[in-house]
Amino acid sequence: MTLFSRQLAAACLSFAVLVSAHPGLAHKLRESGQTEAVAQSDMTVTPTLDWNRLDGRIGKRTETWTLDGEQLNNVTFFGGIEPGSPLIKERDRKNKPLPDFNRQTLLPEIPELLERTYRADRDIGTFSVLSVAPARFLAQDGVEFAYSYVDADNLTRLGLARAVIVQGDLFMMLYEAPRLHYYERNLPDFMALLESASLPG
Amino acid sequence: MRAAVHLCAAALALAGTSAALAEPAPAPPPWTGVYQPQGVDEIGLWGEDDESERKLAASPHIIRDEKLLAYLNDVLCRTVGADRCQAARIYVIRDPAFNATMSPNGTMRVYSGLLLRVRSEAELASVLGHEFGHFERRHSLDDFKRRRSSGDILAWASVLAATVATREAYNATTNLRYEIYGSLFRYSRDQEREADLLGLGYLNESALPPQAASQVWENLMGEIEASSVARGLRKPKFDAIAFTASHPPNGERAGYLADLANPEGAFRDDGAERYRAALADWIPVFLDDQIKRNDFGGSEYIITSLATPGWTAELWFARGELFRTRGAPRDLVHAAEFYREAIALQAGHPGAYRGLGLALLKTGKTSEGQAALTTYLDLEPEAHDAALIRLMLPKEDAQ
Repeated sequence: MTLFSRQLAAACLSFAVLVSAHPGLAHKLRESGQTEAVAQSDMTVTPTLDWNRLDGRIGKRTETWTLDGEQLNNVTFFGGIEPGSPLIKERDRKNKPLPDFNRQTLLPEIPELLERTYRADRDIGTFSVLSVAPARFLAQDGVEFAYSYVDADNLTRLGLARAVIVQGDLFMMLYEAPRLHYYERNLPDFMALLESASLPG
Repeated sequence: MRAAVHLCAAALALAGTSAALAEPAPAPPPWTGVYQPQGVDEIGLWGEDDESERKLAASPHIIRDEKLLAYLNDVLCRTVGADRCQAARIYVIRDPAFNATMSPNGTMRVYSGLLLRVRSEAELASVLGHEFGHFERRHSLDDFKRRRSSGDILAWASVLAATVATREAYNATTNLRYEIYGSLFRYSRDQEREADLLGLGYLNESALPPQAASQVWENLMGEIEASSVARGLRKPKFDAIAFTASHPPNGERAGYLADLANPEGAFRDDGAERYRAALADWIPVFLDDQIKRNDFGGSEYIITSLATPGWTAELWFARGELFRTRGAPRDLVHAAEFYREAIALQAGHPGAYRGLGLALLKTGKTSEGQAALTTYLDLEPEAHDAALIRLMLPKEDAQ
């Protein structure tokens, strides 16, 4: 192998590594009208417009969809978080453990669980739960809550989530977008997706 | 070659200032008045800093409470003197971490986590004074220059080593790299010691007891240890210096800060009551931010430390929330007890009734739990989760 061909091979290899590592190229289109199972669970949704499913997962049994990029609008599905597990992946279990969902968690405590998860994971001091109300989700009695928080990027985001506990496991869908422009714009799209969610059995 | 390289590294190393830290810190030098940046480096640094301050002023993380700011300014002025304190602009950041900084142009960032942890004006003054010490000695500029010249030396050493191209030259460059990195971190630690020395100088001259500076670090070590123990980790070493440590170890600081404090100042008023009064509205908010961080041991340490002058309904409530949200069966029993303590001190505490109700429901005491939740809704019918809580009550109560 000549020096040139070695260099060429190395360049191709690094390009391949870059391409495969780039999350943008591994996303999947979720087309309007097609029912899809989400978050490695039996929960399904049928979108009313095309969404992007992001390849990265923030935790076991989660899945994230977006329209314009996850910083601008993101929908995250939690497909049955088991008791004793945190909502999202723990980056440092030893030094920075996240709160666990557990068998005794009550519906009014789910907003607190998300709040504590975000505060611990992102080291933020600005998170407020704005409203908590009963709501139907996956044909069962659940909870709907709205919240706002400010991340390291100094942008105020609003969130809306609906959650239910089915046979001891937590199922949740949440929508987050910057308060400025995006939240209002895509809220109806999220509500449509939310209404289409179902869990067979 | 190697000798030259070692010489360069040695020239970079700063003579340790720690040896000088044994007697009470001397009074600070006379204040030179308004300072303007000199030379291209400092002007550039201040320019960047001005921009960063503009962003900070508009940030949603800033707590905009005029009364609180006026109080913090007053404490700073009483610490460093009325002339010096004009150079600082304080911003309170809502962030539960224990931290404060002061940058070259006079922007002082005080984190809400610091305000939660210090227990008197004197403890607050010791941290503000330390940060002001960095500012007065223009440490950021020195640090910037040192990093740049270290980078230059490393770059030239690599070029020289490449021209020689022997194993010895390669080894010497590697050694140099470690020495330069080590000296940068050592320099940073020396800057901290220098700021501590100056900070204690201000405190010794002020009307506050300088002994508080050492107490801040004692408290922090207590919290770190409690946090580790609760997570089942080994007790941290407070005297070990890591290669990359930017600050002297907490144990060393607590020790030399005590030595630097003027013994005659020990009996001065530490302003603990004034501090509690000024922060009364904010402590429950900052405590709530802390207990939601999922640091059980650290939060429990802070709550019990805040309760030293006496337990209040808010402190019992916070402790109840801490135990309920950790949620082990034994925690729920304790949580219920703490909420009851809060109610005993403040009969109409809605949050305590809510927490008590939820904790009792989770321990199987349904009717008692529902009674507590009913009281919660009576006290706060428009609560943010009233509709959901109402569903947890028996039908006749819910109507």
